[in-house]
Amino acid sequence: MQPVLTLNGITKSYGSIQALKNVSFEVPEGAVFGLLGPNGSGKTTMLSIILDILKSDSGSFAWFGKPGSPETRKQIGSLLETPNFYHYLSAVDNLKITEAISGRGDSADIDRVLEIVKLTERKKSRFSTYSLGMKQRLAIGAALLGDPQVLVFDEPTNGLDPVGIAEIRELIKLLAKRGKTIIMASHLLDEVEKVCDHVAILKRGSLLTAGPVDEVLANEDIVEVSATDTAQLLSVLQSFPGYSHIKEDGKLIQLFLPVGTARLEDVNRFCFEKGITLNLLTAKKKSLETKFFELTND
Amino acid sequence: MLALLKIEWLKIKKYPAFWWMLGIVALTYPGINTITYYGYLKATTGKEVTNNIAKMLLGNPFAFPETWHSVAYFSSFFILLPSIVVIMLVTNEYTFRTHRQNIIDGWSRNQFITSKLFDVLIVAVVATLVYILVALFFGFYADPNSTSFWADQLQYIPLFLLQSFAQLSIAFLLGYLVKKAFIALGIFLFYYLIIENIAVGYARFKLNDIGRFLPFEISDRLIPAPAFFSRFGKDAKASYDHAIHLIPEHILYTILLTAGIWWICYAVHKKRDL
Repeated sequence: MQPVLTLNGITKSYGSIQALKNVSFEVPEGAVFGLLGPNGSGKTTMLSIILDILKSDSGSFAWFGKPGSPETRKQIGSLLETPNFYHYLSAVDNLKITEAISGRGDSADIDRVLEIVKLTERKKSRFSTYSLGMKQRLAIGAALLGDPQVLVFDEPTNGLDPVGIAEIRELIKLLAKRGKTIIMASHLLDEVEKVCDHVAILKRGSLLTAGPVDEVLANEDIVEVSATDTAQLLSVLQSFPGYSHIKEDGKLIQLFLPVGTARLEDVNRFCFEKGITLNLLTAKKKSLETKFFELTND
Repeated sequence: MLALLKIEWLKIKKYPAFWWMLGIVALTYPGINTITYYGYLKATTGKEVTNNIAKMLLGNPFAFPETWHSVAYFSSFFILLPSIVVIMLVTNEYTFRTHRQNIIDGWSRNQFITSKLFDVLIVAVVATLVYILVALFFGFYADPNSTSFWADQLQYIPLFLLQSFAQLSIAFLLGYLVKKAFIALGIFLFYYLIIENIAVGYARFKLNDIGRFLPFEISDRLIPAPAFFSRFGKDAKASYDHAIHLIPEHILYTILLTAGIWWICYAVHKKRDL
């Protein structure tokens, strides 16, 4: 299947600062692709390049197998960095411009997207009178105009209240269910973990890892155990065969093992034979947060 | 092309500053010409001999066909007002970051500049329309007997349009390159009102009038001071004829300069990070 987006060795510097270093990855069709990275890691620069706002120094990218062009951009609903609208125009008038430029949607569709982002009541108010969250909603609405197959969201929940964040999360899930490809940059790991099935992690312009969430996260098995006597448990586990390292976290002990080697029965039997009765034994998936810190910390 | 024009109109038609500009232009063009007209009337009515001589010598600068020339000349002082709007229209795109959004939504970079060229054209056409109305009004009002000459000297309409477009293009270039409205306006006003006037004046006497090649002066010379300014004395007559004689040459320079300005905009926009 043709990837929706392919990046090939994208490099970009601002003067002496290298914002992106030879970044390559693919976004498969129908993926909810999370682009992660600390502030200043190059997420927005990367999205700007694929939307032709910035010119890369070298490398190339392709949308639907074709080099980026106005025609490809028209098929993509995008929200980049900030909501960009004419302050003196109303939501409807602003979306009319989006519609006219992109060819996506019509006046009925403008009403539809305003309903989705809950701006119907204020649709005739000037953009300058909107709150931060409302501006963000309008930007999301503009991206949804014409129901495009591909959506690019840069920090979509910026400025939204908790209810708004939950709504956008549901919206993204819904869009994903309908087969849309969504590329989403965020530093809110929790958010990405909840909605994304693919991730790429950037750090200071370098791509650390990219792929399906399960693959990126699952490079280690974690077994979490605890017993009444934590110190004794710890000393016993140190003789357990085949683990890579042990971490003590209060009353909990985490045992890290190579992928696919963790069998809870073995751990249980091993401890019991050594005279320790476990009061907790569970296999744990690494959270994206742990992985993220692991990768991005020096 | 038509689509671009329509989109620009969507942006402009609800932009308050545009209508303020139009309102002020619609006041200042008739205003300055009315003042001049009454100045002329005052100089040419009365019983004294000098007044009659004045009347004889001047002719009526606001009757057809001279009205086309006179009104164009006096109105063109106020290119400043539309310039402010042009600068606002381009710097707004930066302030609102819509210069990025327009590209993201599917314009090419060239289309963006073309759309701005249409902005400048729209403002120039609006200014020209106001000029035409004012010139017509004065033609009919100042001397109803002159109406049979209404179609003479109509060349000042395209000249006024070209001059407006050329000078607004300079304003656009400034706004486009500087990006910040107030800095661009500051530079524009300081250069347009002060620096170039001094330079042109100085060059006229000291440097063989080389000042006529300065950006605004190139197109200022499309519409020289009207004949009635120069009917006193022999030298004045000669320099008026000379100025008229130079118009075709300046049409060429103006077109070249304006084409150069837009070429720069297209070339810069193709390459630069937005």
